[in-house]
Amino acid sequence: MSMFDGLKYRRVFSPIHNLDPRVKFTYACIIFIVAILFWEFIPLLVLFVIQVPFVILARVRREWLRSMKGAAFLASVIFTVNFAVSFINSGYMITFVALEYALAMTFRFLVLVESFSIFFLTTSPDHLGLALEQTRVPYEFCFAFTTAVRFVPVLAEEAQTIMDAQKARGLELEKGNFLRRIRNYIPILIPLIVSAIRRSLELAEAMESRAWGVSKKRTNLYELKLHGSDYVLLTVTVVLLVAAIYVRLYLPVPRLAEIFDYFAH
Amino acid sequence: MVKYATMPVIETRNLTYTYPEAAKASIVDVSIRIEKGEFVLITGPSGCGKTTLCRCFNGLIPHFYHGTLEGEITVAGLNVKEHPTYEMAKYVGLVFQNPENQLFALSVEKDVAFGLENLGVPRDEIRSRVDWAMKITGIYELRERAPYELSGGQQQRVAIASVLAMKPDVIVLDEPTSFLDPLGAKKIFEVIHRLNRELGITIVLVEHRLDLTVKYADHIIIMQDGKVILEGDPHKILDSEDMRLIGVGIPKVTRLYQLLKADGVKFHGKVPLSPEEMAEKVRRILKTHD
Ligand SMILES: Nc1ncnc2c1ncn2[C@@H]1O[C@H](COP(=O)(O)OP(=O)(O)OP(=O)(O)O)[C@@H](O)[C@H]1O
Ligand SMILES: [Mg+2]
Repeated sequence: MSMFDGLKYRRVFSPIHNLDPRVKFTYACIIFIVAILFWEFIPLLVLFVIQVPFVILARVRREWLRSMKGAAFLASVIFTVNFAVSFINSGYMITFVALEYALAMTFRFLVLVESFSIFFLTTSPDHLGLALEQTRVPYEFCFAFTTAVRFVPVLAEEAQTIMDAQKARGLELEKGNFLRRIRNYIPILIPLIVSAIRRSLELAEAMESRAWGVSKKRTNLYELKLHGSDYVLLTVTVVLLVAAIYVRLYLPVPRLAEIFDYFAH
Repeated sequence: MVKYATMPVIETRNLTYTYPEAAKASIVDVSIRIEKGEFVLITGPSGCGKTTLCRCFNGLIPHFYHGTLEGEITVAGLNVKEHPTYEMAKYVGLVFQNPENQLFALSVEKDVAFGLENLGVPRDEIRSRVDWAMKITGIYELRERAPYELSGGQQQRVAIASVLAMKPDVIVLDEPTSFLDPLGAKKIFEVIHRLNRELGITIVLVEHRLDLTVKYADHIIIMQDGKVILEGDPHKILDSEDMRLIGVGIPKVTRLYQLLKADGVKFHGKVPLSPEEMAEKVRRILKTHD
């Protein structure tokens, strides 16, 4: 289990999945920018919570929870380090300022993981490649991206086959000390690399045979077009950004200490 | 009698090719002529140069593999030595042995569209040609699936659709069924046969299982050690004495026919290439015995 589980795409159909990948990416980036604008805990908590409806709407709650769980460890490290540093700086005293700062840093990280996992969980690699193409990233790069995604399961399966074959010949992977164990993987890596090279040559041949390399402008079977719901998300995103800047500049942001004082009296 | 000078789709004259750093040539002095609309079968023992010859048809040799190519080769009226593979791709579609390594996209229809996208064909036309090619090859229902979710036979049909969409004059298939089960193979041969009969596309099929394919062929080319050693009408070639010596798998019905004939059974007409043809001959003999 890791926070990268939140990046694995699974085919589901939902209103969020149908959104334009470019708009979703803009959304994730703007959330990130807004998170950087604040170093108080309350607004970051709000930012975290307002994204939860997206997750539910996209029907990826389970995957999302898994990635948040994966992120929890790193989040607790961030919290501990920040808290410890301010604890030492403030002369070995537990203060609200230290607590607020550590919590804010932690939630800034969680907001980042949250928004990008929504993006990756709801965007098919196909869509992603298409988005890259239509934002004028060189086609070679987009092609490399989609081909890599396409061949990951193939190579994984092949690695498993080679591993089984070598084990059947008596290779013991889990034996010996650390260095020894790394060495054990050589009989698996070499056939895997050789076969990957052979595979890439065959791929190159097949690409050439299908008119790869004509210098004329390439066309595309699909075209990304913004629909009504894309404009809605885009508007929401822009409003969020403007509101955040306004709050930052003109409004007092409540701090933990103030809230505590308010309730204490 | 006036003989019309038809334009061959593929013509080679004394074609000899040596891979870079190779000690000897992989094809030697190959002179063949393939007419428009023919169904050609190329066969021969392993390592005899069949794949190498296929690579010459669309210019992978010499443009991709380099090495030394001597002699002449013209395909669809173009001198292959002067036209890079991406230009030849409009006229010659190549389907390879391993279905897995010739599909690159994340969905079937995107793969079928790949060549047309490269050529810069307008979107509407790509759409209609992709749908057309997927329907003919029977993969229309699979259009949104990822290639790794498909069986080998389905993948191979995607590969055929993806060259078909480019509307080539010739489709060259290099042992397209060697990774497939017999049923998947049969389906592929039927698709290829349809392309030939209904659309008039010239087919060059490399295959060693003559049992399943020779009945479709108009023209058979047999190679050994880089040379073409027998060539012509399959009925004549399969009846010749040399066939058995080369170690090419003769269809079983043809072999049965030869054995019976050697025993003195009198057959009429040409050598049979399929069980149906053999059955017809046996029927005729039984009738005369009545
Ligand atoms: N890329 C290459 N580089 C160097 N030599 C090659 C290459 N490919 C094939 N050869 C050699 O060329 C000769 C003909 O090989 P080719 O693959 O054309 O035979 P084939 O008839 O297709 O065999 P098979 O039935 O096994 O597919 C062989 O001797 C082979 O070793
Ligand atoms: Mg071969």
